[in-house]
Amino acid sequence: MKPAPFEYARPETVEEVLSILAEHGDEAKILAGGQSLVPLLNFRMLRPAILVDVNRVAALDFLEVDGDILRVGALTRHLSLELSDAVRTRLPVLRRAMEHVAHVAIRSRGTIGGSLSHADPAAELPMMARLLDARIHVRNSGGERVVDAADFFLAPLTTSLEPEDLVTEVRLSLPPQGSGWAFEEYAQRSGDFAFAAVSAVVEAPEGRIEDIRLAAMGVDETPVRLDAIEEELRGRVLDGRLVDGAVELARQSVNPNTDLKASAEHRRHLMGVLTRRVITQAVGRTGKAAA
Amino acid sequence: MTDPTLLDRVTKDPGEAGEMRPRSVGARVRRLEDPRLLSGRARFTDDLEPRNCVHVAFRRSDHAHARILSVDVSEASAMPGVVAVCTAADLEGIVGPIRATSRMKDYFATSMHPLARDKVRYVGEPVVAVLAENRYLAEDALELINIEYDVLEPLVDPEAALADGAPLLHEEAPSNVIASRTFARGEIDAAMAEAEIRVSGRFRMRRKTPLAMENRACVAEWDAGRRALTLTSTTQIPGIVRDALAELLEMPGHSVRVVAPDVGGGFGGKGSLYGEEVALAALSRKLELPLKWTSDRLEDLISTSQGFDELVEAELGLTRDGAIMALNADVIGDIGAYSIYPWTGVMEPVQVVSFMPGPYRVPVYRGHVRAVSTCKAPTGPYRGVGRPISTFVMERLMDMAAERLGLDPVELRLRNLVRAEEFPYRVASGIVWDRSSFVESLEAACEAVDYAALRREQAVARAEGRLLGIGIATYAELTGIGSRISAAPGMPINTGTESATVRIDSTGAVTANFGIASHGQGLETTLAQVLADELGARLEDIRVLHGDSSLVAHGTGTYASRSAVLAGGAGTLSARAVKDKVLRVAAHLLEASVEDLVAHDGFVHVRGANRNVSFREIAKANYSDMGRLPKELREDLSSTKTYDPFFGTATAATHVAVVEVDPETYQVSLRRFLVAEDCGRIINPMIVDGQVHGAVAQGIGAALYEEVVYDATGQMVTASLADYVVPAAGEVPRIDIVHLEAELPSTVGGFRGMGEGGTIGAPAAIANALSDALSPFGVAVCDLPATPERIFRLIENAGKAKASA
Repeated sequence: MKPAPFEYARPETVEEVLSILAEHGDEAKILAGGQSLVPLLNFRMLRPAILVDVNRVAALDFLEVDGDILRVGALTRHLSLELSDAVRTRLPVLRRAMEHVAHVAIRSRGTIGGSLSHADPAAELPMMARLLDARIHVRNSGGERVVDAADFFLAPLTTSLEPEDLVTEVRLSLPPQGSGWAFEEYAQRSGDFAFAAVSAVVEAPEGRIEDIRLAAMGVDETPVRLDAIEEELRGRVLDGRLVDGAVELARQSVNPNTDLKASAEHRRHLMGVLTRRVITQAVGRTGKAAA
Repeated sequence: MTDPTLLDRVTKDPGEAGEMRPRSVGARVRRLEDPRLLSGRARFTDDLEPRNCVHVAFRRSDHAHARILSVDVSEASAMPGVVAVCTAADLEGIVGPIRATSRMKDYFATSMHPLARDKVRYVGEPVVAVLAENRYLAEDALELINIEYDVLEPLVDPEAALADGAPLLHEEAPSNVIASRTFARGEIDAAMAEAEIRVSGRFRMRRKTPLAMENRACVAEWDAGRRALTLTSTTQIPGIVRDALAELLEMPGHSVRVVAPDVGGGFGGKGSLYGEEVALAALSRKLELPLKWTSDRLEDLISTSQGFDELVEAELGLTRDGAIMALNADVIGDIGAYSIYPWTGVMEPVQVVSFMPGPYRVPVYRGHVRAVSTCKAPTGPYRGVGRPISTFVMERLMDMAAERLGLDPVELRLRNLVRAEEFPYRVASGIVWDRSSFVESLEAACEAVDYAALRREQAVARAEGRLLGIGIATYAELTGIGSRISAAPGMPINTGTESATVRIDSTGAVTANFGIASHGQGLETTLAQVLADELGARLEDIRVLHGDSSLVAHGTGTYASRSAVLAGGAGTLSARAVKDKVLRVAAHLLEASVEDLVAHDGFVHVRGANRNVSFREIAKANYSDMGRLPKELREDLSSTKTYDPFFGTATAATHVAVVEVDPETYQVSLRRFLVAEDCGRIINPMIVDGQVHGAVAQGIGAALYEEVVYDATGQMVTASLADYVVPAAGEVPRIDIVHLEAELPSTVGGFRGMGEGGTIGAPAAIANALSDALSPFGVAVCDLPATPERIFRLIENAGKAKASA
């Protein structure tokens, strides 16, 4: 388990990174937290000619609230998100999600840019990107573009990024104060990749659902937004029949895989259970201040 | 026989000086090895880097079963930085295959070549060794080796491997069954027919890997000047490896030294001889180079000996009153590709049938076992050996019978456990239990958890729709076994004795040499505690040496819950002999008679007088200060003794698990876990607790998480720790422990072995608790680990069955 030989570059500015990426194209691989990349290198499942270590690019490491937007630099560590006051007070759903990302040691290294670029279909940050309508800022030597999370994740471990692209920033939309939220995950052990997870943010000030966002992961090729259920619930007051309908829709709307740990049928079952819990909890939390 | 002097000493009138001193045995002494282990100052095998060391990497088989047509190493050999590339041909004539022989009837001993010759039989089998300047270059060169294979049909399912016409894994063997055995007492068919109640099941425990924190590693150093070999290895059995290498390499034992330095866990996985050790030793001698190999986690997962892979069909017959009448069990043990040295692949499955009747009166028994070879990594000893499965099966059958009879599971057990007055009790399979806390452990466990209250809590929970389950497992095991019983059936090596040399040197310091090899058990501390009490020395005056074949003439290592009993016994006997010498010298120096002397804290005192002499002065007078002692009194203050507990002793325990299953997600949470155990006299309660905690954690792994999976082609699909999942801190609840000392066994010191019990009881207790929790669904857990997917399937299938009924 030693990696195949590779060159190593450690640029300190975004411009340097982009020029190295432009030069080497798909022969290059960006090293951020390394929590997924390094094992793949050691198993020799990836053999980049050059590793571009972005850990010294200070300009990518920031976290700030800008109006109703949370701006997150691509190099922001998972632990910084988890411990951030802004996240705790304005995005409790994200904070809860971060607690499910592996273990503290891994969270202290892993980055948001790395997690989104890696695009594991059972990883929390890609799911949060879908839930919170992330706008992903991508740069290459030709310029910058902004990609909606909806257009970013294409397939397992596959995004719309080109080899010379670098994710520089992720903008998450902050729900209005008093929004309800919920996050439920089933994993075999704490910190494991989820068999399934569902999350929600909801605005229902007078008991009537004005807006709701629902996302799930581990149950499809990519993290998914549950648009059809959102549509069903919008403008309605929650009752048992409505929830039952949403649960049934949730089970039908995903396409889970069977793998070593769980069958598609099992994941679909969990999808139903977790959807029920999340909708109920999120609506129940509406109007309550964050912890 | 109970050793009278030692028992006297604790029970004697404490009014006399000396006997008032706090004894070390029984105290929560902090582990002497921990400062170095916790501060990064320990020396593990991988810390060793001899000058000009050459690093080895193995090209391993990608196929489960294939004939090797050709191996082309030319490109790899030509790579810069590569020192040599070796195949089976390079070992031809210098080292033969490893064969675990046995006197067992109709047993077939497989031939395992350190580097595969002609055929490969499991994915991960070493085929080629690359020797290079560093491990990186060695791994680069592995990719340049071209091996041409003729792929053969893989043997993955042990039942299919049994079938007529199945391809033979070892062509020279008559079948894929390397051994079969039957234990029988009484007429099973008649007894079963007579039984008023019969319960039966098909039980499965899935293959596990020991997963020590430190991967296997070894360093071979050939001293060309002295024509001597030192192998430093992460082994639990340096003495066995030394003896085997001396034989395989045709060298005298004085020229082969096997050292196990600090070793980071073994759990049985480091308790066998490995091809890598033999290959490095042979190649180091041949090439006159120091060689080092440190396996990575992938290699560890695919090539370290695995365990617990059995399929058991069993039936239990009882009277209407709940008295066991008969037990019938058929066991298929999947031993993997080779019969491991020295234990053989038969040891694990045979233990399943030997121990199946458990701590109960089973008048009529039939146990049949077949050990089948398949295309998987070889199985070997793994903490618990056989008994986790036998206990799982028997304890499930007991719960199933209790349910049928409408009896509480505790009540049914109490009606059948061997009672105090029945010891020694001869088990139908031939094992003899000496008295241990069979009934007492069950009663103590029930009292400690307040069993009646737990059942009430369960009734309330059920009424609320919660799935709460309580599971009990009572078991007995043989530990500290002596020469009467072979650790493995028919094995030609003696594992029933251990030796110790205790020596006071000219500075008055005590050094004790042992043949055992502590690898996490804290034996440097516990053995020092035993010696300190015996000698009257201070702990800090004693250094315990172990893990080195040169320390004793014969010693086999640390495994099978034997070290406290055997090494503790040998150390005790040696220390007594040394103390006699010390007192003779002291008597002369103090002008007192030996009977009036007592030793403690490194001094010999005259009882009732204010006169003493230190061990240091005694040693000086004996060895250095000419003229203080008459010539005939001077002697070496040392002694070597061997201890053989002959039968060994029974260790018993009861485990209680309380689980709750989420009625919607079916997620299992372990709410409580309690162990009531009897390990005889406790040397260090902290270490005993640690052993229980660690072994229960591994039992939780066997019950809920850990499973080595091979796909239909024989590829291992759990070759990383993302796929082979073990319980981590978050998955292990607080474990409560009740220590019992019903009656001390007849071992020297009154110790029983206790390192494996947690793994033996926990899977059964958890399986019973889960079955109890899930009983509203009408399902029972018979297949471990009970992974989320298995539980989901059980419940879904029960639901479907109900719907279609």
